[in-house]
Amino acid sequence: MNNDITPVQHARLMEHQTKYTRLSFWIQAFLVVVLIVIPFMPSFRVMDMAAKIMIFTVVVASYDLILGYTGLLSFAHAMFFGIGAYSIALLCYHSGTPQWYHLILATFAALIVSMFLALVLAFFSLRTKAIFFAMLSLALADFFHILGMTWSDLTLGEDGITFSLPGIFNVKWSGVHLLGIHITPRIMTYYLILAVSVILFMGLLRFVRSPVGRVLKSIRDNEQRSTALGFKTFRYQIYSIVFGSSIASLGGILFAVWLRFVDPESALGVFSMVDYLLMVIIGGLGTLYGSIIGATFFMATQAWLPDLLKGIAALFPDYGFIHRVAERWIAFLGLMFILAIMVFPKGVVGTVRDMIARRKQE
Amino acid sequence: MNYRKSRIEHPIFVLSRLMEKEYMNSEAASGELELKSGFNAKTWAIRIASVAIWFLPLIWIDPTTYIVLTTAGLAFGMLLFMVAAGMTIIFGLMDVLNMAHGALFALGAYCGGYWLLNLLEKFGWVAYGTATQSISSILLAILVGAVAGAMLGFIVERVIIRGVYGDHLKQIMITMGVLYVMTEVTKIIWGANPEVVLVPTMFQGSYDIFDVIVGKFRLAAIIVGVAMFAGIQLILMKTKLGLIVRAGVENREAVQAAGYNIGRIFTGVFTVGAALAGVGGTMWCIFQEQVYPEIGLENIIFAMIVVIIGGLGSVTGSFLGAIIVGLSFNYVSFLLPKLALGVNILIMATILLIRPWGLMGKQ
Amino acid sequence: MADFILSLKEIHTYIAQHHILQGVTFDVSAGQPTVLLGRNGAGKSSTLRAIIGLNPVTSGEIRFSGQTIQGRKPYEIARLGVGYVAEDRAVFYNLTVEENMRISMFEENTQALERVETVLALFPDLKRLWRCNAGLLSGGQKQMLAIGRAFVNDHRVLLIDEPSKGLAPIVVDQLGESLIQIKNHTTIILVEQNFHLASMVGTDYFILDDGRVVHQGLMQDLEDDQELKQKYLGIG
Repeated sequence: MNNDITPVQHARLMEHQTKYTRLSFWIQAFLVVVLIVIPFMPSFRVMDMAAKIMIFTVVVASYDLILGYTGLLSFAHAMFFGIGAYSIALLCYHSGTPQWYHLILATFAALIVSMFLALVLAFFSLRTKAIFFAMLSLALADFFHILGMTWSDLTLGEDGITFSLPGIFNVKWSGVHLLGIHITPRIMTYYLILAVSVILFMGLLRFVRSPVGRVLKSIRDNEQRSTALGFKTFRYQIYSIVFGSSIASLGGILFAVWLRFVDPESALGVFSMVDYLLMVIIGGLGTLYGSIIGATFFMATQAWLPDLLKGIAALFPDYGFIHRVAERWIAFLGLMFILAIMVFPKGVVGTVRDMIARRKQE
Repeated sequence: MNYRKSRIEHPIFVLSRLMEKEYMNSEAASGELELKSGFNAKTWAIRIASVAIWFLPLIWIDPTTYIVLTTAGLAFGMLLFMVAAGMTIIFGLMDVLNMAHGALFALGAYCGGYWLLNLLEKFGWVAYGTATQSISSILLAILVGAVAGAMLGFIVERVIIRGVYGDHLKQIMITMGVLYVMTEVTKIIWGANPEVVLVPTMFQGSYDIFDVIVGKFRLAAIIVGVAMFAGIQLILMKTKLGLIVRAGVENREAVQAAGYNIGRIFTGVFTVGAALAGVGGTMWCIFQEQVYPEIGLENIIFAMIVVIIGGLGSVTGSFLGAIIVGLSFNYVSFLLPKLALGVNILIMATILLIRPWGLMGKQ
Repeated sequence: MADFILSLKEIHTYIAQHHILQGVTFDVSAGQPTVLLGRNGAGKSSTLRAIIGLNPVTSGEIRFSGQTIQGRKPYEIARLGVGYVAEDRAVFYNLTVEENMRISMFEENTQALERVETVLALFPDLKRLWRCNAGLLSGGQKQMLAIGRAFVNDHRVLLIDEPSKGLAPIVVDQLGESLIQIKNHTTIILVEQNFHLASMVGTDYFILDDGRVVHQGLMQDLEDDQELKQKYLGIG
């Protein structure tokens, strides 16, 4: 690391060296346009996948903030996601006919609970070694998972909660006709998710590019030097953990809103962390944009991998074992994850940035 | 002169020895080993408090239920110890954090507890067998569980762990991935639904002693657990291999410089730890009378808590920690079922804050 | 060349990007106790660690008794006859004195047991503390145990790293006496900051600075050379 510039300047310099700023701007603009246009395609599957990609981009980007930028391995991210999902599910379910203010209330409730837990976790992250913190977060996340499964009076246990949304998002709404196109509640929900995701993602970008974010990068790269320079490192870690975890729970709200169904396994299950880790590593740790790639890769794989495997299994109709392997295609995601860590730890965007940096040096 | 002799540590004396050792160390720091003088209030207060706290639940629970819960808690603790013992030595010696230990536990359960017992049942050995057949079934199940665990452990160590020595974060992530994959593989081989596990005749049911109902298999679990602890201690304290492992847990480089191939010892220790986890899994699923793929993940979380409370690298520590976790989980399960795991997490968090190296770990 | 029991040629080692040893070259003759001198950070400990294989050697050659040992694993090098007494934690605190000695023995045969007797004769304190945890020993006793551990095998070369560190002057003298006894049995290579101890024990010396050997000669000549001592060792 250069000794003659400040960490903040260094971070800014590294950014310029690893990007083609003009090009990336146009790519992002193009993506947003595509996302806006998607609902007008005839296939529901595409819209479904796009919505999920957006949601998980936000969740994974917030995880990247904590793991990639702050350098903290936490298994509690799925917990925050689940807290958000369950907040809205519980409110909408237990209130009979949900109203607008329930959405707002749920968001507040989720944020308050998440911020509190995030502060507790942040406190521990500063007081204990990394491995202990990881284990503690894992135990805490599983505690909430078990709570979700056993507190049946509240959460309906393992069966999960199906609920309806208020107002124009409610499936019973008849929709409007605009320019000859039928805008269904589904489409309205989609645009809500689009708007919120974009705002949250830009919020993360803003955070990472702010002085706080740059200090975080400098802490990640060289903690001793940052402390010696006077940065109270713990304060920045707390900001980052609380901000990242809150965004995750907002992502959980979006997820619940889209599916209108939550259950302990999908919303609070600890193994979801492996999915997030897979997405963040494939995309690239410490590069927020990587989460877009990671989420797209993951969703796409979830879409075509089962069919691919079933197709292969169909070639061997007599071997039941192969069919069973094809059924459990999730195992391959785990294998990809392990391979990614061992062989491809920088992820797509990370490698791209390295290549650009090398090009620019020549 | 109060010399510490190299003998098998009896767990009953361990807690008091823990306090004494602190005393010895602070005295030695002044250069001489002195006679410990007289009655020390602080040590005795801690000793009494740490024993008394286990009788606290009697305030809310009647004595008969208390004894039942205590036996169940001790049995649960012993089963946790079987997994934690391997994990703690592996971490102490190799500095490797192995989440995949849960997968070894699960594989042991499926192979030993489910597959083997079903196999033996075809000969009528299990559900309605004789006493000899029951004991043989259990021993065979333990053996199969151990072998299954050992084989998978060996593969995991060679293929995966070797690549990430020294990088804790990567280790956690990769071994978590292995656990994830193994859970799915278990579903492929044996299906995703819970399966019933048979209990050999001799261990079915319970003894009724003065209205106290004590499950027979719980006693068996306690016996196996204590036997395992004694066996491990014997090997650690009395054999050259145990000596090398203990030295290696403290200082890996010095053991290498002393002429020992630490790499081969790592593999051996890992495999043995994996076998122990396999035994734990076998006993666990018979204890629960059912088995399902997620037990690996569930168990590893408990095992982690035990290892942290006990101290990384200390087998006696995990023995104590396992008893603490087992008992507290059972008492709280009875009183406030949803919060049982929460209490264990609380204990773990407290230890991490006030004594991060665990009860018997090294500073 | 055939006389040299240990030869280092242009040894380079790195820790991450830091270039620690930058071409260390020296030869040690059998039976001639040798001292490595130099300031803090000159690379003395790193050199010993490179010889025993604990620090990986990037380039260069180390020959011991005619065999190439750089690149080999530490346990192989130890078994070939190179003993190592580390700077810190040279004994196992959680093991007793007896266990420390036991673990150091390659084989528990008569010769080894005889050497244990020799060690106990040299350091009678260890006999008294035989069943004590090594962590409870005083600094000087720990150091004696460390040297005793290394001596119990028939090593032909004994690498000893700063044994006087943290010890009172009178203990250092006792240490020096015992090293003088040992140097008849094996070739000692001693890293020392304490010049007095170094001159008690050593016959030949090499001065390291910035990861290279910058001067060498006989200890007795160095004792009188104030200028050299001032320049490279900061003393005199």
